[in-house]
Order: sequence, then C-alpha cells, then structure tokens
Amino acid sequence: MSFATIATKVRAGEPLSFDDGAALFHHPNLMELGALANEVRERMHGARTYFNRNFHINATNVCVASCMFCSFARLKDGDADAYTMKLPEAWDKLQSRVDAGEPVTEIHIVNGLHDGLPFEYYTELLAGLKRIKPSIHLKAFTAVEIFYYHQKYGMTVEEVLRRLAAAGLDSLPGGGAEIFAPRVRQRICADKCNGDEWLDVHRTAHRMGLRTNCTMLYGTIETPEERVDHMLRLRALQDETGGFQTFIPLAFHPENNALMKLPGPTAVEDLRTYAVARLLLHNIPHLKAYWVMLGVKTAQTALWFGADDLDGTVQEEKIYHMAGAETPQTLSPDEIIRVIVNAGRAPVERDTLYNVIAEGEALLPKQPFRRTGRRALEVVS
Amino acid sequence: MSKLRLAAVSFLNARPITYGLERDDRVDLRFDLPARCADLLAAGEVDLALLPTASYAGFAEDLRVVPGVAVAGRGPVRTVVVVGEVPLQQMTEIALDAASRSSALLLKLLLRERGLAPALVEVAHDQILDAAAGTRGALIIGDAGFVATERFEHVTDLGREWTALTGLPFVYALWAGRAGAATPADVALLRDSLRSGLAHRAEIARGWAEARRMDPAVCESYLLHNIRYTLGAEELSGAAAFITRAFHAGLLPGRTSPTPVRLYDDGRPERPITNARTTAPLAVPASQDSRPRARALSLDTLLADAAAGLRLGFDDAARLYDQAPTLELGAAADARRRRMHGDDVVTYIIDRNVNYTNVCVTRCKFCNFYRPPGHKEGYTLDRYVLAQKLQETVDLGGVQILLQGGLNPELPLSWYEDLFRWMKANFPLAIHGLSPEEIRYIAEIESLPLRTVIERLVAAGLDSIPGGGAEILDDDVRRNISPLKCSTETWLEVMRQGHALGLRTTATMVFGFGETSRQVLTHLEHLRALQDETAGFTAFICWPFQAEGTRLKLKDDTSAVRYLRTFALSRLYLDNFPSLQVSWPTMGPDVGQVALRFGGNDFGSAMIEENVVSQAGAVFKLGAADIERYVRAAGFVPRRRNMRYELLPAS
Repeated sequence: MSFATIATKVRAGEPLSFDDGAALFHHPNLMELGALANEVRERMHGARTYFNRNFHINATNVCVASCMFCSFARLKDGDADAYTMKLPEAWDKLQSRVDAGEPVTEIHIVNGLHDGLPFEYYTELLAGLKRIKPSIHLKAFTAVEIFYYHQKYGMTVEEVLRRLAAAGLDSLPGGGAEIFAPRVRQRICADKCNGDEWLDVHRTAHRMGLRTNCTMLYGTIETPEERVDHMLRLRALQDETGGFQTFIPLAFHPENNALMKLPGPTAVEDLRTYAVARLLLHNIPHLKAYWVMLGVKTAQTALWFGADDLDGTVQEEKIYHMAGAETPQTLSPDEIIRVIVNAGRAPVERDTLYNVIAEGEALLPKQPFRRTGRRALEVVS
Repeated sequence: MSKLRLAAVSFLNARPITYGLERDDRVDLRFDLPARCADLLAAGEVDLALLPTASYAGFAEDLRVVPGVAVAGRGPVRTVVVVGEVPLQQMTEIALDAASRSSALLLKLLLRERGLAPALVEVAHDQILDAAAGTRGALIIGDAGFVATERFEHVTDLGREWTALTGLPFVYALWAGRAGAATPADVALLRDSLRSGLAHRAEIARGWAEARRMDPAVCESYLLHNIRYTLGAEELSGAAAFITRAFHAGLLPGRTSPTPVRLYDDGRPERPITNARTTAPLAVPASQDSRPRARALSLDTLLADAAAGLRLGFDDAARLYDQAPTLELGAAADARRRRMHGDDVVTYIIDRNVNYTNVCVTRCKFCNFYRPPGHKEGYTLDRYVLAQKLQETVDLGGVQILLQGGLNPELPLSWYEDLFRWMKANFPLAIHGLSPEEIRYIAEIESLPLRTVIERLVAAGLDSIPGGGAEILDDDVRRNISPLKCSTETWLEVMRQGHALGLRTTATMVFGFGETSRQVLTHLEHLRALQDETAGFTAFICWPFQAEGTRLKLKDDTSAVRYLRTFALSRLYLDNFPSLQVSWPTMGPDVGQVALRFGGNDFGSAMIEENVVSQAGAVFKLGAADIERYVRAAGFVPRRRNMRYELLPAS
C-alpha cells in the first residue's frame, strides 16, 4: 500500500484498513507521515490545543494483579511502600484545593485492585468528593477496576456502573486497555480482564450515557501490527457507540518493573505512534499527548504530529513517576499555556467533556515569551 | 501545444539553469551571445531569454521576470574582475572586453561610487588578458577570470565590491519575456530544470572543464560557492538596486524611469498563515531599498527551493522562521540533509569535555560555571588530574579532547603551549580546543596578533577550534548579555585566521535571550558569509539558553518546538555547512533524536564529562550504546567519526 494511496484515502475521509495502518508504521519518511496526521488534526481542530485543570487521586496501590510493566502496585497492605488512603485523607486533597481557591474542574481517580475493601469505599469516596464540590467532574475507575468490582462484589457491570454513577461518577478514564492482542496480554498483564471484557465495560458505559477515554500501552513486546489491531478494535466500538472522547497512547516506562530490560520507546517512535493513531482513529475526536509520560518536550512536538490535547495540570501523579518518569509532578496552567503557545498553537481550557472554559486572549500569558523587540532580558542579580 | 521558445547565454554559470531544458522536448532552446539573446526577444523570435541584468534594464519595453531562477551571487564571483599591476584606485585606464557590456555597466557604477574616473577603452576579446600593464588594468569576464586572478597581483572582484557597497546580492542574469509569455506551468518547468541542474553541478563542471582543459574542481567550486541560483526577495532587491542606480547615473539612456522588475505568476498562492507561530506577531521590517514592488515568493516555493539547495535570502529566511508550518520547515530540512548526506549515516564522536579552568574575567550573565579571579572556588586543573582524565578517555575509545575554559589572567600563551605539547607527547588524542574568545584573550594579555597566537598553538599541537562563545553574533544582543566578550567581528576574525592556517572549526549559536528573528538570521548570515570565504567550518550546533541558576531570567521561548524550527532553518540557511549537530546535552536525547529528522546528521559526542550547561540545569548523559540506539530508532546507521567528520572504521 503506497503512502500516496493512503493519503488519498485520508483526504477523502475513507477509513484506513489494517494493511494501511501497518504500512504507516513501517513508512520510512517520518516527516511525511507527521504532515499527513497534522493535516487531519488541523482539519478537525485547527490550531486549537486543549488542556484542563485537574489532579489525580490514586487511593490505593494495593493490587491483586501483577502486571509486568507496573512499578506502582503492591500485592497487599503492609508491603513496603503499600498504601491505602483513609477516605478523609482522599477527600482532603480536594478540600485543601477548594480552600486555596484553585479552580480545579476534574479529578482523575485510578487505583489498584484491592481485595480487602468494601464496595462502599468507592461509592463513599465519590460521594464525599461531590459533597465538597458538587460541580467537580469525577473521571474515575478504569474498565479493569469496574470489571474487578463486577467479579468481586457479584454485580453485573451495568449494576456497578449504575451504583457508582449514583454516587457521583461522571466518566471513565481510558486506562487498563494496554494491548488487546491475547499474545501480548497473557505475557504482560495476564491477571487483567481481557480485551473483549475491557471493550464491553466501555460499551455498557456508553449505552448508559457515560463518556469515556481509551488508551494503548506501547513499547513493550507488541508488534506494530498488534498496535494497529488494538486501535481498530477501539474504532469499531466507536462506530457502534460514539462514546469515546479521546485516545491516549501511553509510552511504556521501564524503571522499577519486571520489564526493566526493555529500553522503552524513543521520541521518534512516540511521534510515529501518535501520527498513525490520528490517521487510523478518524472517528475519535481527540488525541492526547499525555505530558507526564511523554515528557513536556516530546508532548509539545507531538502537537505537530496529530495530538490536540496535553491533558491537564495533573499534580501528584504516582503511577508513571514510580516507573521512572522524570517529568515534573505538575505544570501550572500558565506553563501549559506557554508550551502550547510556543508550539505555535492556540490554547483552549476545557472541562472533561470538552466544553470550552476559556480560550483566546483571556488565556494568553500577560508577558508572553516573544522574540520580537530587544528589551526582553532582565538581569536578576 | 506549441513549444516554449527560449534563448540563453552559453556561459558556464548558466548551465545549471539550462541543464534540464537541454533534455526537455517541450522547449526549443538556443544558445547565443548576450546581445543576440536580447535581439531575439525584441524580434519576437523567442518567448523568454536568459538576459544579463543590464540588457534587461536597457530593454526598450517593460518585461516580466521568472521568479525563483537567476544567476546571482553574494560577494566574490571570480568571473567579473578587474586585474592589473596596480590597485584599482591607481589605474589610469581600464581595458574592456567589447562583449562585456553588462559587466562594464557594473564597473562604471562602482567607479562612480568610489569617485574614480579612469579612461575606459575597448579591446578585442582575445587580447584582453594582455591589455593589463603598468597603470592600465583590464576588466576580465568569464573563465578567463580564474586565470587572471592567479596572474595579477591586484584583483578587484566586482561581485564582492557590489555586495560590500549595497549589502545585497548581484543578479548577473535572469529569465525575461513579455507579459503573458510564460504561464505558471512554464515557470514550474524552468524551476524544475534548475533543480535538476543544481543536482548535476559536479557533472556540468566536469564536462565544461574537460572541453577547455581546466581544473574541474575550480569549475565545481565556482558553481557551488560563487553562484547562487535563486531569485528571492533579496536578489530582487539586488536587481532593483542595480537598475535604480544605473538609471540615476544616466547609464540607461533609453529609459525615462528605472526599469521595473515584475514577476510572472508562479501559480502558487501565498499560504494563509493560520498554521504559523501564533506567538510572535510578524515583525518583518520594511525593506530599506527603493526597489520596484515585486511579489514575494510563496512559502511553499521557498521551502522547495531551499530543500533543493538554492540559496535562501535573508528576508525570505526570516519569513520562513516566523511563518512556515513547523513540519513543512522540518521536512524541507530533512530533504536537504538527505541530498547532502544520503539516507543512512548519522555520525557521532567519543570525546571528553575538559574544562581546564573555571576562572574567568568575563562575568557573562548567562553563565553559571565561571568564578572570578581570586574566588575560593576557582580552579585550574593540574597535570595529575588531567592525565587521569585523558587516560580514561583513551581507555573508553575516545579520540579527542574538547578543551575549553574561562579567561584566566594567570595563564600565559606558554602555559597552553606546554600543555598541548605534553598532551601530544603522552596521549593519542586530537585537541579540539580554545574557543575564539579564549584565543582573543590570550592575544590580548600577550599583546600578540591573533595569527601569531594561533600559529604558535598549532605548532604546539592544536588540531581544531570549537565554535563556542558565539552566542548570538549581533552586537546589540552581545552588549546586553555578555558585554565583556569579544565582538562579532573578533569572533569571526579568529575563525577566519584559523581557517587560513588550515584549521577546521565548528560554529555554534545559543538563542533564547530575547533576540529577534532577524538577529538570529544575522548570526547565520555571518557564518554563511565566512564559510563562503574560507570553507573552514565543519559543523554547526545550536541550542537554547539554559537559564537555571544564572543571573539572566528566562523571558524567551526556549521550547522544543522552537529548537526544532531554529535547527531546521539553520540547515536550510547554512547551505554551505556540511554537518549539523543536534544538541542532546541541552535538549535531551529524545528531542535530539527528533532533530535528526529536522536536518541533523550528527549526534554530537558520547560525552564523558561536561561542566558548563550541566551547571545550568541540563542533566542528560548518554554513552555510545545509548547514542546508537537513538540513532537506529530514528532510522539511521550510527557511525563514529573524528573531529574532521571523517568516518572511523566500524568497530
């Protein structure tokens, strides 16, 4: 399949095939691939680049699963570095920000699969947060967690989601998808729900009117073809339900886990994966360059390779940082805006559902870094 | 469809323009003398003619010009020269070749500008070389210029004189015709012909030299370095300035106003700038010349031309830097790299950065490494420590020491000479050492000429000079950030002297001090012009200012995307620099790797030690195996090199 033929299909709005996707992963000209992805990105979003004000809660790292790529989980309470937050401890993370007047709009909640907590721990966690700030958007529990609750607490997936939604759940994050191909899944995360089960949780959520995100963990042992297979399965579900908002490719980080001998993907592989994702997933509106795992510099560059979203301020992220991510724990809104503006893009502050909170002049830093004029230096000492 | 009828002069410098046309059956091409080409156009026997600019200017009707294609030059041209036994200002008479009306016009203008009025006498073409004797000089054009330059003591290159006078390129010849004579498709055809000609310059030079028993290297160097085959904003300014000056000097008797330079439509609409950097409002200053209004080339055209190796003008490059979409700028640089280096190899070197002293009198605000003389943390490495470092370097497969330090008033020239001799006697390592600032300082404290200092350092073992301390070669910027450092001119002069003594050097640029796009371009222009003159630079390296812990507060864009844009622009603008090195120590290996796709062909050095930027926040470290992994993952084959960028045998 020649690149020109694929480009023609992309421009005509035709879905790409499995073979097209594989050919793109093997296409030698990265810049050509990036330019085509950028064309699609600009057709969909122009120069707009989204971010939000959020923070993370990882309420427990105790987890029955032993995924090879994970540096975060501990098997049981009492293991070294294992922790499970008391609910007031988790609630206080929101309360302290509200008290400080921080205009946070979203909490991202992802946890280990803890086998000793009652289901009410989770419903109360959500309800307590909503009591503190009713307007906060709770994007919580990956499909893997939902599926675990279904098994552990003897409820259907739908029942789990219904009860969590009643307690305050607003949407699902996209984690836990890893790679759907059974060959890979059995080797790197055999304890997790399988690909069909993961997709089924999202299908159920979409039918109930919940929006969700989706992810792909790349850079472990999967082949390019297995990445394409993964993305096409997401695309098929999106054709069915239209419930995915954002696709987030997640680069594997090799430190402190059982796959330490693998080197982890380099930036050129990151950018290639982003570009292919933008071209294959024509029906998923957004592509997020999650700066925590890509690094700020590569994430900024990815804004020219198909990505239109940088995630948010994040704060207190644990999962990737325990795997050796050297990125900062947080970026201030001004820092995120500057990254976007310096990329030559237009920053848009969004909420979780991509409603615009602010854009244009209102967002531009008061003293933007500009290259015009000579008087831009100030001596500090 | 009827064929496009063309007439062109048959000089060597026109061959790259006509190369593709000679093989294209869509055109009917004939070669003739310049005056005949103009006559054919006047008589309507051809649609377009490649005319000397003087013929164009003196043409009775207003013509149109094909955008993007010209025989032009910035600085020395070597084939339009006045030679003689005395300097130009002492000549009482200058002999002219009767066939060189265009060059004669340029000479008359330049003589007027310099207030000189020798008698001008015409002699036959084949007698011109013998005409120069005593106080009589001769204007030599064409291949004879190469010979004449060797034979006479006093040579005035009119290309150099023109650029020195106006700051602009000179346009020797351009495609011209009547309005409507060329469609956008015709323009594209002429540009395509040039592109293929540029790719075959070596072959053209060989053929020309063989037929005339000349040295092919001379012809090739001429086509590569003296002639610029582009007609961009800068060249149009140059052509317009020439016409305007000639008119006001009364040298265009048939005209009642300066001949306008109007372009044919190339069919490429100006790209809307929605994709452009939204940060910087476009600050392209008004041009300072009074050229007749000509439409600028589209960004697409500029990028395609630059990717093909056509020389980018200053204003055009500033537009690309401010407006070109990031990936398209990168793709053009990637294409340019591929043309220069092929698809495969990315080089790197194993060396060690030894900072022999941190004592420095310069107190640059952006530096976190130096200590002033007398400070308790000041050091100068002793031989014992140095020996350890050098032996480790040899043991780790290193081939070179990058030796740089502060401006330490305690260290005389003899200290460096002793050090170099000791190093050479004991370790098999090349010395890539002492940036221009250090050399200038040694010359200052020793009260010796730069040349003497460099000669003595070379005699003691210096192999090459690193290009550090250039920061931004614009004195407004330099006065602000490092007022005690050497001026732009001094930095360039050290490099010029080093090149003249046979040393190869690198060149650097540090951006992100709040300088303007034009100041960045000024830096690149200085480097390109010196490289035209000496061809002594091996590589260019740039990185953004690392602010942490220094006395300058970061107020500029030093992000990855700006680095990649600046890097790609440098690849396109520095068309005479063979290598561009990515800066992973400052940007990180990932951005360094991506820069290989924005024009880079060298991954720098597997560094064993570095002290300066790591004191200001850069913390990346890579060994040879890491470098090779990054290079391979980007689709290249890693190869080790030495400082001269020669490949070492694969280990």
